[in-house]
Amino acid sequence: MHPRPLWLHPDVHLLEGDGDAVWRSWRWPDLMGRPLPPDGVVRADRPSTLLAALAAAEREDRALLLSRREGGANGWRAEPGFSITLESSGTTGEPKRVRHDVQRLLGRVRGRVDPSARWLLTYEAGAFAGLQVVLTAATTGATLVAVPGGGVQALAAAARDQAVTHISGTPSFWRAFLMALGDGLPSLRSVTLGGEAADQPLLDRLSAVFPSARLRHIYASTEAGAVFAVADGRAGFPAVWLDQGVDGVALRLNEGVLELRSPRATLAAGDGWLSTGDLVERHGDRVLFVGRADGVVNVGGVKVSPEAVEQRVLAVAGVADALVQAKANPITGFVLTAQIQPAPGSDEAALRARIRDALAELVPAARPRVITLVDHIPISTTGKKGRKAVP
Amino acid sequence: MSDTPTIFAIIAEELARIAADKGETLPSLTPDSLFLGGDLPIDSLDLATLLVLLEQRTGQDPFRDGLRQFTTVGELAALYRETV
Repeated sequence: MHPRPLWLHPDVHLLEGDGDAVWRSWRWPDLMGRPLPPDGVVRADRPSTLLAALAAAEREDRALLLSRREGGANGWRAEPGFSITLESSGTTGEPKRVRHDVQRLLGRVRGRVDPSARWLLTYEAGAFAGLQVVLTAATTGATLVAVPGGGVQALAAAARDQAVTHISGTPSFWRAFLMALGDGLPSLRSVTLGGEAADQPLLDRLSAVFPSARLRHIYASTEAGAVFAVADGRAGFPAVWLDQGVDGVALRLNEGVLELRSPRATLAAGDGWLSTGDLVERHGDRVLFVGRADGVVNVGGVKVSPEAVEQRVLAVAGVADALVQAKANPITGFVLTAQIQPAPGSDEAALRARIRDALAELVPAARPRVITLVDHIPISTTGKKGRKAVP
Repeated sequence: MSDTPTIFAIIAEELARIAADKGETLPSLTPDSLFLGGDLPIDSLDLATLLVLLEQRTGQDPFRDGLRQFTTVGELAALYRETV
């Protein structure tokens, strides 16, 4: 009999579906006996695996790597003491790994104890946002409903069948989720958006569809974690926060890029100010997010660099030039498209096959979804390719 | 009847191609077929791709001003003018 971790509420209840209406139920006594593997690496695709591994790592005072892909550790060495290392989704090549102090992570989790709350996990359990939802449910004694590996259809069915009350997801998730729900709406008490900028039409629809839910969108940055929550149902954030700060965080603009100074930031320049890389514009009493300074776009919640993908396409034999662009759409925010100028004499079918092979190792969101062969790539008057996202 | 394909036919053709690229076969489409949450073998990235292709084929972008609600093939087709 292992003691329950102090942060784990005794009422926590995990429900994991297989997408086929078969549900497995887990409570603390079902999770507590599992040891941590000798290398400290756990494939974090299920909340039950994750919570069991976290409790075991704490008990054994060891480091835990929550791996998000097959292939395991790959160069990771466990440092002494209890810590948790997360992997980025890695849109190009190897995932980035970030080690976290668990007490600090737990300190960020908000929410009052509420065993009547039923959360739906819309993120991968081992992603930063997914871990936060798992920890929120674990510390507040809630029920957490998950469909590991399931798509939005499975999540919509789960939300209905398990009478989910709390959901946190990206704006892209919410758009697809609303479509998949159709008329069978769960009665939600809490609707949270994060991971990409929330647009006004989506916020308006969510407040119309879930009138009794608390509607919030969260702004977070990699270095500072969750920075602030906006709860007034409007996109962006109040411009007055630039002068007054919010929740202990000071905000300012530097050539259109949002900078912040936070007591919770892990990395900052000497003066304490941190560039978020997010471009914003002031419109009256509001500050709106308009994109990334480095051109990275969000495709269904996955951060993707059109330029990095373009470099990969340019390396394919038979490609004379290429332009990869982000195209806006109402479902996933953006998708990538590619225009390809073939080298003289290339065979189109063979060229398309080589491009497809070259992109196959990227996550699906990072692959250009529409590839068009063109005679030449348009160049703007500045001599650069017109990479700006297409509305 | 004109010789130009209807929006519905274009949607069916492009969806079939998207499904084929994934090694899936599309069941026969009706105006009531659900894009997500039904039995079509597509995900939200595929649906986003379809909208980009429809804009290329029709020159129309009914979503320029934001999200317009649709869940079925027929509802999406109705957002486009039949002037291809």
